[in-house]
Amino acid sequence: MKQIIPIFMILFTVQVSLAQMKTIKGSVTDAIGSPIPGVNINVNGENTSTSTDFDGNFSLQVAKSKTLTFSYLGLETKLVVVGESSIINVQMKEEASNSLNEVVVTSLGIKKTRKSLTYSAQELKGEELVRVKDANIINTIAGKIAGVAVTKSAGGAGGSTKVVIRGNSSVSNNQPLYVIDGIPLFNGSSGQPNDSFGSKDGGNRDGGDVVSLINPDDYEGMTVLKGAAASVLYGSQGANGVILLSSKKVKEGSSSLKVSSVTTFESAAFLPKFQNEYIAVPGGEETWGAKQSSNDHVKDFFNTGNTQITSLAFSTASAGSSTAVSYANTSGSGIIPENSIKKNNFGIRQTGTFFKEKLNVSANANYTTQTIINKPVSGLYFNPLTGVYLMPRGNDFNDLKNNFEVFDPSRNLMAQNWVTNRDILQNPYWAINRNKSVDSNTFFNGSLALDYKINNWLSVASRYSFNRIDSKYDKKVYATTQGTLSHTNGRYININSVSTQRYGDLIATINTQINEDFSFNAIVGTSINNTIGNDATTLDSGIGGGLKIANWFTLGNFVNNVGNIQTLGSSREVQSVFAATTFGYKDMLFLDLAARNDWSSTLVNTDKSGFFYPSVGVTALISEMTTLPDFINYGKVRATYAQVGSDVFAFATSPTNSYDADGFHKPLVGPRPGASLKPELKSEFEIGTEWKMFNNKLGFEISYYNSETKNQYLVVPAPPTNPYGYLNYGFNAGSIANKGIEIVLSGKVIEGDKFSWNTAVNYSKNTNIVKEIPSELGGKVILTQAGVNNYRYILQEGQPFGVIEGVNIKKDAQGRVLLNADGTIQKTGFEIVGNSNPDFMLGFSNTFKLGAFTANVLIDGRFGGDVMSLTEAINDEFGVSKSTGDARNAGGVAINAVYPDGSAYVGKYPAESYYKQTGGRAGATGEYVYNSTNVTVREVSVGYAFDVKKLSFLQSASVSLIARNLGFLYKVAPFDPNIALSTGEGLQGLDVYGMPSTRSIGLNLNITF
Amino acid sequence: MIINNIKRTAICFSFLAVVGCTDNFEEINNNPYGISQQLLEQDFNNIKGLFGPMFNNILVLTPEWKYQVQQGLQADIWSGYMATPTPFRGGTNNTTYDLVDGWNGFAWGAAYGDVMSNAYSIEQQAKGKYDQFYALSLILKVEGMHRVTDTYGPIVYSKFGTLDPVIGYDSQEEVYDLMFKELDFAVAELTKRVDANEVSTFATTDITSYKGDYKQWVKFANSLRLRLAMRIVKKNPGLAKTEAEKAIAQKFGVLTTNADVFKVVSPTFNNPIATISNAWGDIRMSADMESIMGGYADPRLAVFFSTSSQFTGQFKGVRTGIEIAAKADHVDFSAVGPIVNSKNIVLMTTAEVYLLRAEGVLRGWNMGGGTAQSFYEAGITSSFEQHAVSGAATYIADNVKTAKAYVDPNFPVNNAAALNIVTVAWNAIATNEVKLQKIITQKWIAGFPEGQEAWSDYRRTGYPKLLPVLKNTSGGVISSQLGVRRVNFVQSEKDGNPGGVATGVTKLGGADNGGTRIWWDTTASNF
Repeated sequence: MKQIIPIFMILFTVQVSLAQMKTIKGSVTDAIGSPIPGVNINVNGENTSTSTDFDGNFSLQVAKSKTLTFSYLGLETKLVVVGESSIINVQMKEEASNSLNEVVVTSLGIKKTRKSLTYSAQELKGEELVRVKDANIINTIAGKIAGVAVTKSAGGAGGSTKVVIRGNSSVSNNQPLYVIDGIPLFNGSSGQPNDSFGSKDGGNRDGGDVVSLINPDDYEGMTVLKGAAASVLYGSQGANGVILLSSKKVKEGSSSLKVSSVTTFESAAFLPKFQNEYIAVPGGEETWGAKQSSNDHVKDFFNTGNTQITSLAFSTASAGSSTAVSYANTSGSGIIPENSIKKNNFGIRQTGTFFKEKLNVSANANYTTQTIINKPVSGLYFNPLTGVYLMPRGNDFNDLKNNFEVFDPSRNLMAQNWVTNRDILQNPYWAINRNKSVDSNTFFNGSLALDYKINNWLSVASRYSFNRIDSKYDKKVYATTQGTLSHTNGRYININSVSTQRYGDLIATINTQINEDFSFNAIVGTSINNTIGNDATTLDSGIGGGLKIANWFTLGNFVNNVGNIQTLGSSREVQSVFAATTFGYKDMLFLDLAARNDWSSTLVNTDKSGFFYPSVGVTALISEMTTLPDFINYGKVRATYAQVGSDVFAFATSPTNSYDADGFHKPLVGPRPGASLKPELKSEFEIGTEWKMFNNKLGFEISYYNSETKNQYLVVPAPPTNPYGYLNYGFNAGSIANKGIEIVLSGKVIEGDKFSWNTAVNYSKNTNIVKEIPSELGGKVILTQAGVNNYRYILQEGQPFGVIEGVNIKKDAQGRVLLNADGTIQKTGFEIVGNSNPDFMLGFSNTFKLGAFTANVLIDGRFGGDVMSLTEAINDEFGVSKSTGDARNAGGVAINAVYPDGSAYVGKYPAESYYKQTGGRAGATGEYVYNSTNVTVREVSVGYAFDVKKLSFLQSASVSLIARNLGFLYKVAPFDPNIALSTGEGLQGLDVYGMPSTRSIGLNLNITF
Repeated sequence: MIINNIKRTAICFSFLAVVGCTDNFEEINNNPYGISQQLLEQDFNNIKGLFGPMFNNILVLTPEWKYQVQQGLQADIWSGYMATPTPFRGGTNNTTYDLVDGWNGFAWGAAYGDVMSNAYSIEQQAKGKYDQFYALSLILKVEGMHRVTDTYGPIVYSKFGTLDPVIGYDSQEEVYDLMFKELDFAVAELTKRVDANEVSTFATTDITSYKGDYKQWVKFANSLRLRLAMRIVKKNPGLAKTEAEKAIAQKFGVLTTNADVFKVVSPTFNNPIATISNAWGDIRMSADMESIMGGYADPRLAVFFSTSSQFTGQFKGVRTGIEIAAKADHVDFSAVGPIVNSKNIVLMTTAEVYLLRAEGVLRGWNMGGGTAQSFYEAGITSSFEQHAVSGAATYIADNVKTAKAYVDPNFPVNNAAALNIVTVAWNAIATNEVKLQKIITQKWIAGFPEGQEAWSDYRRTGYPKLLPVLKNTSGGVISSQLGVRRVNFVQSEKDGNPGGVATGVTKLGGADNGGTRIWWDTTASNF
């Protein structure tokens, strides 16, 4: 804090002296004659400068025959010598795009020239976000940015997405911060599972996130700031990288109506393989009976889904004001019957100038409603897929579909008609029709930004934004739903959850040219961010309590109040002050210094509620400093070191008790005795170099980073013998180190009037390692507990973040399976069976243009890493998988095994016994770990742009054929490993009856009037 | 409110650079739906509130699956009470003596997380100030924790609450000594208050059948002492006699009437066995029950079990430790009956106390004026009364019927001849061994469905004789004839308190597996 005040004082007392000279007036316009506000005008050789107002006018006192430099980001710099005239009107042209003038949006919405950046930032143009549209904008960036791993949740359309930039670095949170026009977006989720079995309270569901609710058509581009240095100005929230979205700006004097319509059809790709040669014993729950063929009903269960996204955007701008209004409608049906999504996006953006154009005001409001019926769940409970996959073969699936309920005369109601009474598999049509869920989210994002230009080198801006997300979950579970999941009279679950974020900031920006050689930019600011996450009221009639009258779903019908609770996920306020400066020398050497101090409410009752962190970076443009061979157009090297802090979980330092029908409950988490909690601290060092050559036809960028995040906030189960009865202790320990390399290569392979081919390759490799886990924890922290399944997700000293533990078949040194004396197979305890992190990722995108045709192909590859499939394991245990059929046909499983007395096992191992021992959720799950290497054709589009010259009412029109996840070029796992059951930190590298991934093909139509 | 926020924000902005505005952080970081210590202390809820989870977790009442892995698939099986038709884990699990760590940690977790820690908190807040609560908590603690030491052997007891990095285990002998002492304190404290005609301050908190009556609690404490005393009779007969006679001699005595039965009467939760048996079909009558109660044509059968849905009108039990191809093989045998369709969870019966006294007389202890036979018959009568079943006199007089052979009509490979060839009727001239077999057999029946005590009695006396498992996947660790003797130490302790576990293994004096006998479990003869 103290160090900030002097900076303020210095900045405000800078005196600019002016000589007595003649006054020059004039205006600056662009190529089409519109005035340009904010053009910098410098008098060469002097310390004098000014800039144009909002009408593009300026006035300046200057001596005759001096040279004025007119400069503006993105426009060609113009030099004018002052002559006799006291009026100088200047028209500035758009600069031909080149590496020296490329502008990038950076932290807090500040634009900088790319050349001056001391860290890695990668951009996506707006068209990349909409070319092959997805209901969730973030899914469209997969494979396009080096170092960014995008994994969809198994929640289908409208589900959330896990994004990890430069590897997992934190136990608590690895999701990046999303920022819209400089203002952080609250991207909470109303719920993510962390249990491999499945929740009895509606199944393992993905509550969705906020970023999936925004309208991709509203944005003109995206910048991904990957490292700590880039995000230091966002503080804790930016510790995992920042994804910046910029709203579309309207050009003055233009008005347009854009209409786009996308229709895609989705089909289930990559279903598990089933046997259809054996049926179940009569009445059996598992399919281990006689040889008899059965229908493959699984394929028929899945529908062809479709998604229709229609969007309209109207924009107009005149002098001093602009308006943009957008509307988008998404409706679709999933591949699982009765699953559908409806989404409406409304957006309005208004800008205006006041007080002689010194004050610039912009207001933005977005409102989104989304309703999803039967959002797919994973896990074993409430999941129709278990019933589909595991139905004892030999039963008539079609009959069970058409008669999923039958009249029960003893109760005088319609009852579930099914072949077993097992909690993990119900009649799938009962599950989707009579355990129906409705998820609805509404999201409001309103912001107001004021920018006041005090003088030509100082402006002050203030922004305020309010986010509110209302998430509703409603599940009606009808009577005769399996007894583990429901009371005999049915069950009603209704959860209403509200999250809000209030953000405000005040930022002073200084932009001066100290002299011809030195430039100085700085921002000094303060911000406040108050978030309330998931203030929820849950109504749940429960299983033990239940409903008084069957199938009447309302609170008044609850037997008791046990399941009705209010909870608050988090509440936090972070107040910050920050400053960042850039010193430039001759536009070829730049030095960045930044510092920030955060005070977080989550750190009360600790030694320090505030934490400070700095960053420093330097960039040198080699191509400007020295003479390089002609074919090199641009070359730069950069280096940066930064720290970012992260606070702890809300309430962790103020544990409270709770009271419910079960009595008194101690806090779930309490501080470990004897330790004060402190923020996580990430330190990152990054170096990089960027080159362009052969007339900018070839460009590449290489970055190397090395980061370490210390003081991890670990929540570990407290030993049951702890005196407080805490279920968990929270404390700081352990560190996670990441290092990696990113290479971005871009090339214009063929550049011609008729035909062109551009290509880009994104490569990233990240290695991470967990360190300093306390020895009293056995060097291990469990992120996802095993429960009753043989899957655990852990942090282990010396291993990468998030290794998968399972149980293996015990083998001797010769690789022979060890049997017990009775012939059963011996198994190990929990041991590491895989690592969920990829070794490296590769994205390869190509754009071909031939006349009016444009084609894009994006290949996305992940190499290395492992994934466990409990789906396969359970399919095996139940005798429905193809491998069990093959094994039975082969007379058993070929096995090289040995008895305790050393004698070898003779013959084949009976298939049923083998798979019942090794398959299943609690079997030898190590047998079900697959390499997750895969190469996907992620996006394909072929578009045609109509010649609109003949259609004067149109500005542009195009149509394209699009496809997403067209197919795998290479894959090992028997399912799509790019889908996660949770976007949280646990439950990674696992599939438990997640919805199969989809392949989508469709048409995209765009018209601008 | 909004205006205030705007004002506050505005003021903060103006001054943030200078002073910050963090004075409301405390409030922001406070979960509004939590309850503060200050609020809790009103009406002593800070102390009373801690009893709720203890009542609800000595046997875990909710969620049901937790009961299932706390006791349902352990003691309830190993006591010979029940059997599961479900081939969990591919048919190799606790029932085939392949002890499942993923299940067996829950008994420990519930005991420490909900019973021991709350008892500790009550001690911290009530000891010396509100000793009536402390005394009551001690009785509940002993009730909860003796089950734990009887399951694992050495446990964390005296060292509970230490902040040392290693939380040491006590040997079972040490735990028993402490439990007797704790009962001493509780009995003295509550008796003092009864003598002073003090009005109970526990009535609204107490969800047991005692409704806060201190005198009843003393009777229960005495009965519990008697149970514990009998447990150690083969290891320390002197102490066993002293403690047992102390229990009987205490002025309020032990449980004698049906009103004295100690049970938790949950206002909310049903007996979890009901869901496990009825909704899940995961637990059934055991073959041993069919053999013994069926052989006696015990009138209590219809209370304990339902008739088979496959064999109409018959009580069919499932044998534990068999090859199970499919759940359907045995799921239609006898489910657990009306006894569990209630919110009453019985933790100690009056019948048990009479039968303990019968055994005490056999051992020459002063059990308060009565013969072994009179106590034996009072025990049976008491059990009949408890279940509102008539015909006790006829049953007691039956000197013909003994256990019958077990028949598995679906899978004859599981058939077995009867093992328990004793009649119900008392025989004064029989050997002590035969008398003991009768006493324990009746105690076994009367104690249903609470398997923990029956498993302990089985390990102590060998009665009733149980059908051996036919499928043993323990890898040679646990004998099919002797059954499971204990449960190995739990994973959460190995992870979180490995140093402590090491002390436990040392004090156990044998391998940390299910075949090692705990301290009071010896191979010595019963007399």
